[in-house]
Amino acid sequence: MKRYLILEDGTVFPGEGFGSSIITTGQLVISNNRTGIEQSVTDPDAEGQILAFTIPSVGNSGINRDFYESINSQCKGVVIGSSSRSTVDGSISFEDWITSLKIPGIKNVDVRALAKHIAEHGEMKASIMDTHDEHAIDQIKALVLPPDLVKRVSTRQSYPNPNMGLKIVIVDLGLKYSILRQLSYRDCNSIIVNYNSTVEEIEDLHPDGIIYSNGPGDPKDLPRTIKNIQILQKKYPLLGIGLGSLLIALANECQIVKLAHPHHESSLAVKEVASGKIDFVNHNHSYTLDQKYIGSSDFIVTNVCVADGTIEGIRHEFLPIMGVLFEPEAAPGPTDGYYVFDEFIDLIESVKQQEGVRSQWS
Amino acid sequence: MAKEIIDGQTMTRALTRITYEIIERNKGIEDLVLVGIKTRGVFVAHRIESRLKQLENINIPVAELDITPYRDDQTHEEKDISKVKTEPLNIDINNKHVILTDDVLYTGRTIRAAMDALMSAGRPKKISLAVLVDRGHRELPIRADFVGKNIPTSQKEKIKVSMKEIDGEDKIEIE
Repeated sequence: MKRYLILEDGTVFPGEGFGSSIITTGQLVISNNRTGIEQSVTDPDAEGQILAFTIPSVGNSGINRDFYESINSQCKGVVIGSSSRSTVDGSISFEDWITSLKIPGIKNVDVRALAKHIAEHGEMKASIMDTHDEHAIDQIKALVLPPDLVKRVSTRQSYPNPNMGLKIVIVDLGLKYSILRQLSYRDCNSIIVNYNSTVEEIEDLHPDGIIYSNGPGDPKDLPRTIKNIQILQKKYPLLGIGLGSLLIALANECQIVKLAHPHHESSLAVKEVASGKIDFVNHNHSYTLDQKYIGSSDFIVTNVCVADGTIEGIRHEFLPIMGVLFEPEAAPGPTDGYYVFDEFIDLIESVKQQEGVRSQWS
Repeated sequence: MAKEIIDGQTMTRALTRITYEIIERNKGIEDLVLVGIKTRGVFVAHRIESRLKQLENINIPVAELDITPYRDDQTHEEKDISKVKTEPLNIDINNKHVILTDDVLYTGRTIRAAMDALMSAGRPKKISLAVLVDRGHRELPIRADFVGKNIPTSQKEKIKVSMKEIDGEDKIEIE
């Protein structure tokens, strides 16, 4: 069935429909991921997004349903060049999988041309439709993307991920399961809470440290969460991942900017400033901290992207706060970034030790 | 048999963390001076210095300290200070915040000797201690402000720190 990908600026990419046949609209995101398509599609960050994969053929190694990053996919649509019918180990093919998730898809699209167009003209809204008349283009132009993406993906009810180690409270802004996997691997006793949980509710859980997770949308849509950070950061070690880091930055009067070339790639090099170490890590962010304000802020830059110099990691100069813009939990992508979780645990341990020394000596 | 308990990557991370903590707890790094205790403490000092330079773009002076003449495990004849050559510290530590660095903190006697040496070289505003490994068994009331790794040991065990600059690779072994 012939379908059309229509961009906000009126550009039309024809293709063939697959998956669900509903009309869909959302923010178009160009993803350069080669592998881990399952993880990208089930990532809560994909809420409200139409994902376009630039890899020429998707799903060549089958679909592994053990690699989910959330129970239900929030992705609004997928755009691909072609896909393989390959079903390794009797697993499901990419197209059948997208159909089973009831996600609309469009294939035989010139994804390289699409990626170039977006690189030149910036990120935009898009729609997958059956027609491409004036009316359809007017509709997509008039579309206002919902500002409550985090509210849609954040857990409504707090829930535990019990273990015997440090008590970590995770503020769910669109949590990927791989963050929990990494914490479980380090014996952390985690509790996951709603993004709007009050300071009292979080304090009542008596955390050793707090993680602000990754998530979709514009950080400025979350003023209450930012206010909470301003109070909590004085009492607890904090780790921000992706959106979480941006909120921590805003809570400390550090400005953020939208990237000219957003990072949606599962393997992009990042340099650790202190040691010069290079790590290949998964990126999925459209914003970062503004270089102009970082000098006068209380943050030091700990990691930068090698390709374009984007700030990828920060640390507070006086408080036990750290944040990364990339995704240390990988999924998809290489696992070089896992050390961020070790670093956060070291940070908590050292704060505890300091407190111990203080109470011993005073 | 020696068993590797910390690999190069973990050691690098520990040094980076110590650097972050130095920045964090000093509310800036003005007046800071690094003094490494020979031999491996000097390399620890240099590695922290290069990290501080990358992060804050400030050159922190680094000095080497040879504590041989101040050790308390020598007899009186050996201790005759006039016979031992002491290299003077090549930097001014008066009114500075000195961070002493060493690879292993054990009985605390080396650190006491280092403090003696520092005191005879000037009057620092403050002395802090950063070590890669704290293995316990202190015999003096001394503790480290910045610890890379706490490794509980028995007194029979030996801790061996290897560093790239002198041993070709970074690792910590126990035997």
